Amino acid sequence: MKQELHTFTLTINGQTVDAAKGRTLLTVARENNIHIPTLCYHEKLRPLGSCRLCIVEVEGTPTPVSACTTPARPGMQVHTHTEFIENLRRETLKLIFLRHPLNCSACEINGYCQLQDLAHEYDISHVDLHSCGMKDLHFNSEPYCTPLITYHPRRCILCGRCAQACIEITEVGAINYKGRGAEAVIAPIKTSYTDPTKCVSCGECMAACPVHALTETMTPGKIKPWKTDRVRTTCTYCGCGCQIELNVMDNSVIGVTPADGGVNRGALCGKGRFGYGFINHTDRLTSPLIRTDGELKEVSWDTALDYIADQLVHILDTHGPDSIGGLSSARCTNEENYLFQKFMRSVIGTNNVDHCARL
Amino acid sequence: MTSRSKKIVFGVWNNQVLDNRNGLEKKDLFSSIADLHEFEPGNRITAIMGWDGFFVFDPDADVLDMVRSYMEVVQSESCGKCVPCQMGTKVAADILCSIADGNGREDDIVKLKQLCTVVKNGSMCELGHTSMNALSNFLKYYRDDLYKTVTTGKRHPRKTYHTKVTAPCIEACPERLDIPRYIHDIKTGRYRDSLSVIQEKNPLASVCGRVCVRFCEFSCRRGKLDDPVDIKHLKRFASDMEMDAAVKQQDLKVHLAPDAKRVAIIGAGPAGITAAYHLLLKGHHADIFEMMDEPGGWAAFGIPDYRLPREVLRSEAQLIQDMGAAIHYNQQLGRDFDLQTLRERGYEAIFIAIGCRLGAPMRIEGEEDQPAGYYHGVDFLKCVNRNEPIEIGDKIIVVGGGNVAMDCARSALRMGAGEVHLVYRRTRNEMPADYLEINEAEEEGVQYHFLTNPSRLIITDKVVTGVECITMEPGEPDESGRRRPVPVQGSEHIIDCDMVVPAIGQKVDLSSIGTESGLQTTQWDTIDADHETLQTGVDWIFAGGDCVTGPATLIEAMSAGFRVSNSIDQYFKEGIVTLTEDERMSFILRAVNKIDTDTLDRLGSGIDRITIPTRAVEERIDDFEEVEACICPEDALIEADRCLRCYRILTVATEI
Repeated sequence: MKQELHTFTLTINGQTVDAAKGRTLLTVARENNIHIPTLCYHEKLRPLGSCRLCIVEVEGTPTPVSACTTPARPGMQVHTHTEFIENLRRETLKLIFLRHPLNCSACEINGYCQLQDLAHEYDISHVDLHSCGMKDLHFNSEPYCTPLITYHPRRCILCGRCAQACIEITEVGAINYKGRGAEAVIAPIKTSYTDPTKCVSCGECMAACPVHALTETMTPGKIKPWKTDRVRTTCTYCGCGCQIELNVMDNSVIGVTPADGGVNRGALCGKGRFGYGFINHTDRLTSPLIRTDGELKEVSWDTALDYIADQLVHILDTHGPDSIGGLSSARCTNEENYLFQKFMRSVIGTNNVDHCARL
Repeated sequence: MTSRSKKIVFGVWNNQVLDNRNGLEKKDLFSSIADLHEFEPGNRITAIMGWDGFFVFDPDADVLDMVRSYMEVVQSESCGKCVPCQMGTKVAADILCSIADGNGREDDIVKLKQLCTVVKNGSMCELGHTSMNALSNFLKYYRDDLYKTVTTGKRHPRKTYHTKVTAPCIEACPERLDIPRYIHDIKTGRYRDSLSVIQEKNPLASVCGRVCVRFCEFSCRRGKLDDPVDIKHLKRFASDMEMDAAVKQQDLKVHLAPDAKRVAIIGAGPAGITAAYHLLLKGHHADIFEMMDEPGGWAAFGIPDYRLPREVLRSEAQLIQDMGAAIHYNQQLGRDFDLQTLRERGYEAIFIAIGCRLGAPMRIEGEEDQPAGYYHGVDFLKCVNRNEPIEIGDKIIVVGGGNVAMDCARSALRMGAGEVHLVYRRTRNEMPADYLEINEAEEEGVQYHFLTNPSRLIITDKVVTGVECITMEPGEPDESGRRRPVPVQGSEHIIDCDMVVPAIGQKVDLSSIGTESGLQTTQWDTIDADHETLQTGVDWIFAGGDCVTGPATLIEAMSAGFRVSNSIDQYFKEGIVTLTEDERMSFILRAVNKIDTDTLDRLGSGIDRITIPTRAVEERIDDFEEVEACICPEDALIEADRCLRCYRILTVATEI
């Protein structure tokens, strides 16, 4: 009953639909399977209204409004796909492509790009862009706020999702618009006289970017998304247990993306997102070593585990359980750490167990 | 009438057209524009272009080049956020450039038309919504000229134009702060940049952020949708976030040339401090002479601490001292020095900003005896704010309806008065005080008596024991448009009290100026100075602030300080003082505004104005700690987002 008090009806393209108070026109349309194209809209972020692709006509308002920022009101009459609106959208898209190069084959997200999809949807080709005798744009080449990420101003469509993600997801606010007009860029903020930058290198900006204008500086080699496998796993950096997908191409890890769901809800920190270099590193230990005659020698896992078991039993018999202490790693999962203390307490029989995160 | 309209060759605004290019049309349109004549003496205006259309006075004016220039200004103001404005205006500017260079093609015109539609309908803020109006009118009414240019490849050489980028809020602010810009900087998290924008004009950002009367908010166009943007608290937010760092971390010292001229400023109030700030930035020595022992003038002694804490004022006054201004305290004009001695001490110009420090009497019986329990509002506030001993009565009557009366009433409550009654001769809606103050005072327990006027003081043994009041009723409207109150015969009644504080006006202390300086005074007992340039009859003496205008607001005094710095600078360099380019543009802008029917064509985005964290009545009533707190960054972001960025661009072409 209470729910019903807050719902009302409006019409979209002549179809009467129900809407709840506080919903925007875009969400109401999506709930009713009416497709409105968007670019700057991101489910996790407050609507920005900057790309102007979701514009719709509302009767009684002389100019179109953006569906993502306009709250639905009772009795509104909305038109989402009139010829006028579709034409405005197409022209707006063309303006975006005046800055963003239509050079998709060289792009690492080719085939997985919202902007490319829209170009396809609205039939935009190079030919359309020839008629504008535009002068060259010059962007100021300020370094990005973290060396882990590279900013490509020409690809950037200034949708503002990165800045919003930085404000809302990480709650830092290290980047934002800078400059004026067509030569505006996204640049680091020096908010106050005292702080140099507030960036924590989490990479949420990069994840929010719809057009690959923010890229990982250290990515090894050229990525082809259609040749990349995604392997879901748990991040090993701390006990949080963030769910991630390792992007694997040619049997080596070339990137990390957050997996949907899980405790992290699609967010990651800088370590989880960028700290995967160790996986394929030559210095990485991949088998156990036993020191014999003062030298570390590679042995099989069976040999190593047998050796550990023998030694533990020997110490236990000779000196008692409290002569053994266990120290586990912060980079194991919570479950693994639980098992380890269980092992120490019930198999060895001691409370001497600790964890490196406390050191 | 016809002779007037003849001056406009072509005009278009609000979809109304006046076309005199082929003979005279019999229309009486745009009369305020037709009245415009010269931009400055001897320099005629040839064309004006703005956010809704343009006016051409001279048939030879190059409208194409003007549209190009206009579009380039739009591009340099576009925030870059929404695609149509950010890129569309760039494309339009580039196309117009190539046409003006003689490289135009016919399909360029089609492209321009398309861009007009996209930018006008697609963009997000008012800048984009209005940016294409001039161009689309040009395409519509100057089509033949444009085709001729494109087909013949005629070149239109670049000319220079007078340009003003403004907004209704900017125009309403006496100091012309670039409000949308500093709000935009808050929105993008650049608080430091935001404060820099404010400090370009205003050295007292924190003070203004607390006590400004907000002319800007009353002209905010968001108010037509729901509520105006809370500009004052956004300014306070930016300055509170950054002021410490700005004062402590920056090397503020201004390095002056060895032969820099010296200016004496009399009075360290808002006008004096602002004048010193801008004079220093312009490369002149500025020394302030202050009669009290504290900077801030009336802002320090007239505004109680619960609205404006003293430390805030001190820290901002410190700013100009760090820059290199000297403030000489306890130096009173007429007692310790006079204007001529300053001249002899090497000051080549003097700015008088002594304010209105005397209270105006009520002119009623019993007042001239100065009985115990009778204090002028100004003296009362000065005692309270300086912690001087004052005997607070149990039942106090404050007379007046302005902000000073509010300050007296609310301070009296905080000093421990049992009851505070405020007597005002008009109605609540006509009170000149800020409505927020009126409400807050009522919450705190001030009792209002509207349409009531004191007629006699009741004095027993030289002590005030009551006020005889008379009931008023609204009569005929006076020149301010408010209905003049007239007394109701026989309605005299007595309100008992043991203290009465009249706060009905203030006067300039003219006795301090002396007569030998040759300064003229006006019939309202203020100093006579040019209202635009602030120069007095004596060319090296300037005067501004309350002592010229009569009691007014902080921001108006500050704007006088800013204005006089331009005048004195010009006086030093050229020997004469004239209007600045910005003021001439403002004059034209006002004429344009007169014919502009301002319509807002958008839905409100449904976000309400934020509520300001305010201390509860029972908590605040006993002390002088600040009532309002600073808003949090999240709220600031939401509030900044409500700004519609109503930028308006005005370009003026002149003969020279």
